[in-house]
Amino acid sequence: MTSSCDDRRANSDGNAMAARMAKAFAETTGLLRGPQRAIPLLQKLISDRLRITFEQRHLYSYASTKRSSEETLNALLRWLLNAQRPDGGIAAYYSLLAGYSKSYPEVTGYLVPTMYDVGRITGDGRGVVAAECAVQWLLSLQMATGAFPGGLHGSEARPSVFNTGQILQGLVRAHMETKRPEILQAVVAAGDWLIGVQQPDGSWSGPGAYQDAPHTYYSMVAWSLAELSEHAEEDKYGIAAERNLDWVLSQFRPSGWIDGINLRGHPNYLHFIAYVLQGALECGILRGRKDAIQIVSRSAWILLRRFENNKYLPGNYEAEFKSRAHYACLTGNAQMSCVWLRLFEMTDDLRYLNAALKMNEMLKRLISDGGWRGIDGGVSGSSPVWGGYQPLRYISWGCKFFADALVLEHRLTRSLQASAFGALPCAS
Amino acid sequence: MRVVILGSSLYSETACAMAVRMAKLGKGPAGALALSTLNRATLMRKIGQWGVAEVARYARTKLVSPRGDGQGHAKNPYLETLLNHEGGMFRSLRQVARVYGFPIAVCRDQNSPDAIARLKRWAPDLIVFTGGNILRKELLKVPRLGVLNVHLGLLPQIRGMSSPEWSLLSGVPVGITFHYMDAGIDTGPILRRYEFPGAAECESLSDLRSRLIAFGIAKIGEVIEGLILGTISPVQQSNLNRSNQNEDCQFFVIHEWLKARAAEHLGAGRRATIAASVHG
Repeated sequence: MTSSCDDRRANSDGNAMAARMAKAFAETTGLLRGPQRAIPLLQKLISDRLRITFEQRHLYSYASTKRSSEETLNALLRWLLNAQRPDGGIAAYYSLLAGYSKSYPEVTGYLVPTMYDVGRITGDGRGVVAAECAVQWLLSLQMATGAFPGGLHGSEARPSVFNTGQILQGLVRAHMETKRPEILQAVVAAGDWLIGVQQPDGSWSGPGAYQDAPHTYYSMVAWSLAELSEHAEEDKYGIAAERNLDWVLSQFRPSGWIDGINLRGHPNYLHFIAYVLQGALECGILRGRKDAIQIVSRSAWILLRRFENNKYLPGNYEAEFKSRAHYACLTGNAQMSCVWLRLFEMTDDLRYLNAALKMNEMLKRLISDGGWRGIDGGVSGSSPVWGGYQPLRYISWGCKFFADALVLEHRLTRSLQASAFGALPCAS
Repeated sequence: MRVVILGSSLYSETACAMAVRMAKLGKGPAGALALSTLNRATLMRKIGQWGVAEVARYARTKLVSPRGDGQGHAKNPYLETLLNHEGGMFRSLRQVARVYGFPIAVCRDQNSPDAIARLKRWAPDLIVFTGGNILRKELLKVPRLGVLNVHLGLLPQIRGMSSPEWSLLSGVPVGITFHYMDAGIDTGPILRRYEFPGAAECESLSDLRSRLIAFGIAKIGEVIEGLILGTISPVQQSNLNRSNQNEDCQFFVIHEWLKARAAEHLGAGRRATIAASVHG
């Protein structure tokens, strides 16, 4: 049994490696198919080289910009609208070498709430229209079991727990907005499938899970189930969400480090660490689990201190948050901003808000303003753009999380300003 | 008691005023060590902090035209009484040293072996820190008693950066703390804390900060006297009453948006808020 498992794992590792090499080959030959992309590529490489050469980080200062949040939200929405494919799905990324990818069901799903929110704040009705087109496309992808497929559109026929969970989040919001009965049917089917394939310990592993292994960052799925439970007023989804939450929380070390990200062949990118924190925090908030908020805040505080002291968060980590990375994973940064903002909301500790405001300032400076389609308003995978996470790409989930962070900032700063802003406790 | 002053630059008003105060109290100083203004690292850091235009403006006021007639006003008006001298004003530690007769040295890094050797030669009982580098253990071990810092917040509740602003936002009284420095950030033993009574009257955050600095310089005599007489002894921060021992009280550089909210707690800010609510 073990040996057949090992064989299967080795086989799947081999297949994954071959697939990665094929992808890399296709991407590097992209410039031959679109030589006009050489100009923005060179521009970006040079500008990032100059920026990191002259960048000065210091304890007593932080990066600031005059660019407003509203202006940045408009730019992010512009990028997302440009990335929407004719089928209604949103491309995973714009590669500086190969252009836009195919539609990506997972990200299209969890971009739905973002597009509704950004559309509302900016007053740009195209955000809401884009969200509704995306939902229509997503409904067409649902499998008979209720699951959604993994990977880019058309690349995988296998049902995927993570994608189903992420799409569920978008569909729940779409149902809140539109009350369309077919969306409710779809969310219930997706939720039931997720409960059906959940392991007794609360994790998800096996064929529906990436690399067949359980992952703590599937806390994002738990968050979606908790949302579904609240929206559908059906506690079975909430119970399943909490079962996963318990498993995820059991993977947090007392030091704050999180085990169980379990991505073979990949480092622990900040993006995945932030996923764990975000999913566990949001699920904890929805289920009234103070223990989850407390456990998440410990890890979030470690990253906050590192960001405040170094004015920078490395893109990937080894155990105990050690890192030798010299690039930033911008998506992870934006997610941490979301986590800190929510922790501020939960704890009233203004230091979380302070860190998030500074993180958002830093990210605003890195968003391209104007220029080529695919780059204008986009969030690159890494900074510098050749860094280890999604190199030479502008990624749609980077836009998503940064837009979410700005939406949260907008809401919280407004409500804080509207209140008399009495003294708040600052306790971690 | 032999007291040595550490300054962030030769032109630091705080260092100048502290040196004058010490001299007027009859307590030295035995020497002053300042960071060199003209080194690449400081220049790049200041450009990063302030931008090129502001650094150029600063350089013009301090270096090219050091207020030629010797008149003018101090950046911190509450230090003017101390800085006024024979119809003019002290503009650099060199001028103060010349008048009060103490040695002065300039270094690129206060932790460098040269700087430490120089400090050891002055054999200080106490070093008073008014600004500069983050101090390393070797330097902290030089004075017999310790390196004294005036922190612009009440320890242990508010440690780290932007302390006056965070005090206003957190509802902790605005004040200052005299403490010995250790390897942590504002974690060293506390000598004395003073609440600052005038925060409500301050017109702006920079006004508050200026007043707190002057308040610290005014109170240093009491602290040094207490150390000499043995009426003040250092208290470890971990031994102080805290609601939660594990609470991390470190604060970081405050973002402009929150800074503006902190300013609303000051006299001028409160008046504007009340006026807005009356008219709005």
